[in-house]
Amino acid sequence: MTALRAEPVMAAQGFLWGFMYALLRPVTWRMAWRNVGRNPRRTLIVGSAIAIGLGATIVAMAVNYGMIFEMVASAIRTEVGHVQVHGRGFDAKPGIEFRIEPDQGVGPELVAQLPEIVAWAPRVRGEGLVSSPRASAGVRLVAIDPVQEAQVSVIDESITEGHFLGDDPRRVLLGERLADRLQVGVDDKIVLSVQDVSGDLTGEAYRVAGLFRTPSRELDEGAVFLPIGEAQRLLGIGEAISEFVIVSNDDRQLAALAARLQERLGPDLEVRTWEELRPMLVSMIKIFDQMGWIMYAAIFIAMAFGIANVLLMSLYERIREIGIVLSLGMPPARLVASLMVESLILTLVGVACGLGVGLLGVWALADGIDLSAWADGLDAYGMSPVIVPVVRSSDLTQPLAIAVLTAILASLWPAIRAVRIRPAEAVRHV
Amino acid sequence: MLEATDVWKVYETRGVETVALQGVNLVIDEGEFTALAGPSGSGKTTLLNLFGALDVPTRGTIHLEGQELSTLSSAQLAHLRLQKLGFIFQAYNLIPVLSARENVEFVMELQGVPAAERQERAMAMLAEVGLGDMADKRPMEMSGGQQQRVAVARAIVSRPRVVLADEPTANLDSKTAEKLLDLMQEMNQRHHVTFLFSTHDPMVIEKSRRTVRLRDGQVVDDELRAA
Repeated sequence: MTALRAEPVMAAQGFLWGFMYALLRPVTWRMAWRNVGRNPRRTLIVGSAIAIGLGATIVAMAVNYGMIFEMVASAIRTEVGHVQVHGRGFDAKPGIEFRIEPDQGVGPELVAQLPEIVAWAPRVRGEGLVSSPRASAGVRLVAIDPVQEAQVSVIDESITEGHFLGDDPRRVLLGERLADRLQVGVDDKIVLSVQDVSGDLTGEAYRVAGLFRTPSRELDEGAVFLPIGEAQRLLGIGEAISEFVIVSNDDRQLAALAARLQERLGPDLEVRTWEELRPMLVSMIKIFDQMGWIMYAAIFIAMAFGIANVLLMSLYERIREIGIVLSLGMPPARLVASLMVESLILTLVGVACGLGVGLLGVWALADGIDLSAWADGLDAYGMSPVIVPVVRSSDLTQPLAIAVLTAILASLWPAIRAVRIRPAEAVRHV
Repeated sequence: MLEATDVWKVYETRGVETVALQGVNLVIDEGEFTALAGPSGSGKTTLLNLFGALDVPTRGTIHLEGQELSTLSSAQLAHLRLQKLGFIFQAYNLIPVLSARENVEFVMELQGVPAAERQERAMAMLAEVGLGDMADKRPMEMSGGQQQRVAVARAIVSRPRVVLADEPTANLDSKTAEKLLDLMQEMNQRHHVTFLFSTHDPMVIEKSRRTVRLRDGQVVDDELRAA
């Protein structure tokens, strides 16, 4: 019984070794390359189909990634930064009750210990009501240190009218949309009402220093920027802050940076990376990644039929030749390997051209695709109206991996047909 | 060397049986230069295929150097063909994408002969068949006679025990056919390789030292000529 079971296993092992050996022989690749070139028109048609399909997909994915990475970059630049520190509980319920007190070690002395931190800024956040003589609106208060804030965000560069916050503590910044709603402009007066740390309602009048426009509609419609000292006084929180924003020089090591900060700051404070603060953006990247696989898989499944068809046609044309090589003693494993290599060459030539077409397309769009016509819709998602395509190395290796798999799968059916060829009949085939 | 014992071969196509060989008994000894002669449909190619381990008999046994072929798996048969047999077919014998030298090297490459030795032997054999200057030509750049010479070189160079040739002169003019036969005779004598070929060409029959005549799948005559 053992012998009976062992025989097919040994045969399979022998086949596998023969197959691997054949793959390593230069003559296998030489013959396959020449066979692929035997019918240039057919090879060109299949190669072009792969190249155009793949090239178009690379461009489409690059635009998608350009869009999502722009959203990420925009979120980081306008508000989130790379890492933020809060009082424990702030993430779940943002409010002034969860604060970072001056004695908790968050500040320049902390930053000095970590050379990868290139910029930082303290903020106070709260909720409030802004009123003008004509309207009022519920707003988020974002209280900043103007000098430090300019290091971590682009809010200072987003001023469209008036000027950024300066030495005058009685000045605030409003988003263009909020200003429209309140029907105020630069130098107009508004009243900011908040609930202080004791729960009492308090308010102050300020003048509008400037108006800003960012890619974030949420910020433009619902945030008021004011000097941090003013907010601390208004809210009655002393020198406490709500948030400490950090920008690192290595955005690939943010989790490690956050872990080190958490270790230094202890359990009373929360350290979060932008990925934790904006899980929606991370989900979107993951969704695009999945979409990429699905798109490539769909393209290559369609290609697999084309390649299999080409190989079957080529097999039928060479049936006598295959009969001869089998008669001469070519092992079936070697025949399978040679067909698989033909399929690989055909696919990889197409993929190489496809990568070229794709990269050329991305290069042609390097200045960005202007979607200003739809900008009103886009800024709701924090997107810039100009999308610059982004190609990552994985966008090039991914189709390569799928292409190799496709080539192997596409060659299976022709290979099975080939090894079933009876040499005695095939050598008489005309 | 080769022995067919009570060999029957019956083909079945859509329920219709065709008897190609009927109880053939034949022994081919080492060094022979033998022709299987007979009209079309007499069973000579079928018998050649059975001796060449390309097909299996419906009944009876085929032995090559004492080994019964029907006991071997397809992989083992392929290995046996590779190591012990050489083949020459009617026409379009060569692999079109390989040059003459690469074609001659092909079987040695399958056998695992090292590259340097392979090239040396291939070039020597091409020179021996008079095609030393055509080593880099592809089959389509050569005449039918030249292609058959390359096929002979390929069949011999791998040092087989037996060369089986299926109507090797069928597509050649008589002058080229005669030259090819002379070449095969020379190879038979110089390399002591057994040659067995199927033919209905009188010139081939005349040049063979033994002629086995088949008719309706049976051996009807076995004629041995003096060397």
